[in-house]
Amino acid sequence: MPKIPKPEPERKGNGLLIVFEGPDGAGKTTQRKLLKTWLEGEGWKVSTTKWNSSPLIRPLVKTRKAAHSLSPEEFCLLHAADFQHRLETEILPALQKGRVVLADRYFFTALARDASRGLDLKWLLSVYQPMLWPDVVVYFSVSPETSAKRVAGDRTPHFYEAGQDVTGLADPFASYAQFIRGVIGEYETMAPFFRFVKVDAEQPIYSQHLAIREVFQGLGHRSHES
Amino acid sequence: MTKGRLIALEGARGPSVTAAAHELLGRAADDVQPGRISQWDASGLFGELRWNEPGAPRPSPRILVLLYAADLAFRLRREILPALEEGRCVVAAPYVQSAVAFGMAAGLPHRWLVELFRFAPEPRELYRLRELCGQTECACKPSEGYLEFCCEVLGPGPRPWDSENLRRRFVEFFDLPESGRSAAGGQPIEVLAQPPDRGRV
Repeated sequence: MPKIPKPEPERKGNGLLIVFEGPDGAGKTTQRKLLKTWLEGEGWKVSTTKWNSSPLIRPLVKTRKAAHSLSPEEFCLLHAADFQHRLETEILPALQKGRVVLADRYFFTALARDASRGLDLKWLLSVYQPMLWPDVVVYFSVSPETSAKRVAGDRTPHFYEAGQDVTGLADPFASYAQFIRGVIGEYETMAPFFRFVKVDAEQPIYSQHLAIREVFQGLGHRSHES
Repeated sequence: MTKGRLIALEGARGPSVTAAAHELLGRAADDVQPGRISQWDASGLFGELRWNEPGAPRPSPRILVLLYAADLAFRLRREILPALEEGRCVVAAPYVQSAVAFGMAAGLPHRWLVELFRFAPEPRELYRLRELCGQTECACKPSEGYLEFCCEVLGPGPRPWDSENLRRRFVEFFDLPESGRSAAGGQPIEVLAQPPDRGRV
């Protein structure tokens, strides 16, 4: 694991940044929505941000994904631009107002996926600098088999989601099963270095939610919208 | 190791860079293997960027550099490396240093810029266009070059980006020690005169 760059805490304000990470099918979105509902019920002001959702960059990525025309470097750099745009226009402003920001995926997603595509982790870390460290990263841990099974039960994975650009397999399900193994491997390697709080995503939904509430309560309530 | 010859040409004015690239290619390419020119925004990323729609937040300098890197990765994959593999001469105009110069001019850390572009191979030869003394204004269209595009995007808006300052600092970058990433083998940057009848304001 390369040397991890220092964070830039002064940019963050007094909000709280909570990140949900993990492979597809781990239940991040469900848990993010549950936590948001609970936090708002407790009186918190909550903002959410989702991966690859910048109104400026997403259209560029979408057309190129549809055409299957991205190399791993281009895929990485465009997602980094998307992330940077959301960081500047959504995440930081919300944190500076003292809001709780729930990020459905953060740059750890890029590190896991892009490293699985064979890109150098040290370079990936530099692409995402300067790094704004979350207050907590909740990592939803599932086996590759569970992830593949849940995704297959829900939809046909897209070309890049299935990693078909790197596996070369024509069958998206077979490709996903192979690709996600590498992605989960990268997550598991990162988990101790980045101090992920691990949640067993094979447990019942509500018990996971209770565990996440406890994580939040352990952060200390220092966030209030100004 | 590729068989061809990669020549980088950097400069502040898009149309002048294009004209000079054609001159350079004419000098460098041999008659048997025709060379090619690789230019900014071959991927169409900048042309498709809807930065000027009402209410849309404008991209920051860091985003503009990341997009340049994505565009360059596309150019390397689709234009530059295949031509080099065929043993051809490629003039990349602009290449890495123009993006580094813009990033530095906009206040981004040199170290980040250098690391970001680590994926791009060093050119065998590196040229830059001599700027016309005292000219910090440019009448070129945003679609004609990276710096023109960036100045247009950053010009108005909430942050007081000053396109004259950006352009001046861009040019000054080439006099800084940080611009010392020269061509392969440590050859110095050769400065070219502005091509005739192009690039004049």
